[in-house]
Amino acid sequence: MRLFIYVFSFYMMSEAYGEDQKVIYQYKKYEKFDLGNLEVKGQLIAPGDISVRERERRRFELDLFARDNFDPFLSKDLESLR
Amino acid sequence: MKNLILISLILFSHIIFANEKKIFSVALEDKKYYFSALNEFFIETYNKEILNNDLKKLESLLFYTGIELLEDYDSQLLLKYPTSSTRFILGRKSFQEKKFKSALDHLSKIHPDHRYFPEGKLIEAQVFQAQNKIKERDESYLACQSSAEKNESSAQNDKIKRYYRMVFEICLINKARHHFKKEEYKEALGAYDRIPKKSYKWPYLLLEKAWVYYQMGDYNRTLGLLTTYKSPLLDTYFFPEAEYLAALTYFKLCLYEDSLIIVNQFYQFYRPRFQALDLVFKKNRSSQNYFYNIMFREDEELVKEGEFVSQILTRMKKQTRFSLDFNAIFKIEQEIKRIEQNENKIIKDKLVPHLEEVKSNLLTKINYNAKTDIFQFLDSIPFISQELYKLNLEIISKKKDLVYFNKRLIADRSRGDYSNVTRSRFEYFWKFDGSFWADELGDYSMGLKSNCQTIRNEKVEED
Repeated sequence: MRLFIYVFSFYMMSEAYGEDQKVIYQYKKYEKFDLGNLEVKGQLIAPGDISVRERERRRFELDLFARDNFDPFLSKDLESLR
Repeated sequence: MKNLILISLILFSHIIFANEKKIFSVALEDKKYYFSALNEFFIETYNKEILNNDLKKLESLLFYTGIELLEDYDSQLLLKYPTSSTRFILGRKSFQEKKFKSALDHLSKIHPDHRYFPEGKLIEAQVFQAQNKIKERDESYLACQSSAEKNESSAQNDKIKRYYRMVFEICLINKARHHFKKEEYKEALGAYDRIPKKSYKWPYLLLEKAWVYYQMGDYNRTLGLLTTYKSPLLDTYFFPEAEYLAALTYFKLCLYEDSLIIVNQFYQFYRPRFQALDLVFKKNRSSQNYFYNIMFREDEELVKEGEFVSQILTRMKKQTRFSLDFNAIFKIEQEIKRIEQNENKIIKDKLVPHLEEVKSNLLTKINYNAKTDIFQFLDSIPFISQELYKLNLEIISKKKDLVYFNKRLIADRSRGDYSNVTRSRFEYFWKFDGSFWADELGDYSMGLKSNCQTIRNEKVEED
């Protein structure tokens, strides 16, 4: 039993020590593409004319006040008399 | 028998009492205490059968006192006294309450020779207008004008002459306004032009005429008329609507910078003043005499606004209704003074409290009218302010259009030419030399050319 405890303690200590060790992963620093050697399968087409369809600018016209009657003035004049 | 004698005695005492009362009102009238006599007259007669003589007496008293005192009287009481004056009051009241049938009924019974006939016809015309009876309306306006002219020529003093002239002019101006509404602009101008420059109404009409010219598309004449308000003679006449119309007209001529100057001036100069006034006036909204007092005394809080407030108040004091009410107060004060000097204590105690009450009612009425006028004026500011803001946005939008289409206006700020002034052969022509002359006022026209033509911007050369 005592032996088992010693072995187990030793195992745990070695595990704890192992966690502190840094693992370094290294990726490829660069990859070379040979574009000349690239091959695309399909039909080659190109637009004959590049154009943007013109969109009419939206105008929000505000309804500006323009007097078309003097109705409020009628009663005001009458009230001004007495 | 004993009972019979007792009853006879009581009846006899009532007759004596009634006679004494009647004698009392006549005595008051004889002493020219007209306001007191009027009150006594109603006390004597309100529960009696009204005879022709009573009506004549009432008319003669109202000739001196005016009808302002009766405006608060109960309609049922006034109906008991079928005189032209009471019918006028009842007709006016019914019109204000929109009881048009009743208004026409009362107004049609005013005698054609009565002093209130012209004003009665003016109200009648407005009743017909509300009922859309155009033919009857025009007939009433004509009757108003002819009777007002007739009364003016026979009036004994200048104040009464001025009153009839005012009624005549309002009837004429209302016709012009109806023409304007029907888009009959030349006819409207014809009617407006019959109002002389000396008239009290004339400064107010400049704005109306400016709108007529605006609707006709004569923007130069619109701006010219509005320029008249800048003259020192008319500095008490400030109308926010006139500022807006000037800005709108410049906008129509595509003179955006000129339009923006007016917009900015309104926001920087006038709006803060209006807001300050609004605060002071709202604080005193429920006062019974604040607005009456500031018409005669300087208010500490309003001193900062100085000229600006006094201009508004001066304009209000020029109204006919204010002079009628002030006049009534003056006459009542004179009557109180004479009673205090000449009568014994019993008579004084009987008459003076009533006169004081009538005077106080008139003060409250003036205070109310002044308050209404001031708040109506201040309430118009947010609307004009909002319209100017919309105009500002439109100007920005137009300027963006120019950038978007790579264009610019033909001239930055076209400064005018005589060839752009249109005028009829009846319109005068004055050159503005930097100062205002009274005989020129109202005849100005700008000579600005419309700046709305655009030209394409030249291509910017690349380095």
